[in-house]
Amino acid sequence: MLFNKKKSRRNINKGVVNMSSMIDVTFLLLIYFLVTTVLTPPEDELNPALEVQEGASQVSDELEPQVIDVVKRGNDEIYLIGSQSITSRETLYEVLSKLPHEPGVIVKVDGTTSVSFALAAIQEARNAGFEKVTYVPTNP
Amino acid sequence: MPFRSKTSRIIIPVVEMTPMIDIIFLLIIFFMVAAQFAQQATIDLDLPNEAGEKTPIETPSALIINLTADGDIIVDSPDNLITIEDLDSRIQSFVETESATWDLISLRADENAESAALNEVLRILNKHGLSATRIATESP
Repeated sequence: MLFNKKKSRRNINKGVVNMSSMIDVTFLLLIYFLVTTVLTPPEDELNPALEVQEGASQVSDELEPQVIDVVKRGNDEIYLIGSQSITSRETLYEVLSKLPHEPGVIVKVDGTTSVSFALAAIQEARNAGFEKVTYVPTNP
Repeated sequence: MPFRSKTSRIIIPVVEMTPMIDIIFLLIIFFMVAAQFAQQATIDLDLPNEAGEKTPIETPSALIINLTADGDIIVDSPDNLITIEDLDSRIQSFVETESATWDLISLRADENAESAALNEVLRILNKHGLSATRIATESP
């Protein structure tokens, strides 16, 4: 009996930490951060070369054979390759695919068009297989 | 004695909580840090929906220039709105002091922005001898 008594005393002295409330809080925190975290979509990029025309017509003449002019006519944004006017990017891709790829292509962007329309030209040039794509900002 | 032997047979199931709590705490810390980084790094822009280059550059950008739909230029933090002249001097010091190359500067332009604003930024990059640019896109 004496032995038994000792055992029961030991049991009483054991400290018990109640973990349930802490776990509740941590779970709530976890759910909060899971819900509020905004996962940013992964970004890609286009890397065109840059060239600025310094108002010399000579530069323009040199670039003439492989130039896409990105311009706005009225409310319509169009691509001009030589005298050919293109409104859809599918047509642009077809036309670019037929051009020789070695000299590269110049994308001359008029300031009046939207960024998305201008970058679509660069993307289609890349898709058509052009390794050298040069962005030339121009004044409207 | 028979009473004693009965009590010793009772099996109390003990659920080991420590590893679970460890994992939950790690998850909380991860989401807290990720949320903080996401706030610092990104400015909410509608990037052009383009697939980008087939082989994107792996170098992380040292300078990110954000161009909003209204044509405003934001560098570093979301409230750091700068003028085109400020950007000019910023790029100049960036190129001179850190001898930065074009692949260290990334340009995030809103797809609805006018390309005139994009052209201005690209002119400045070209003025400081940067031969190409990185324009961020979002995979469709």
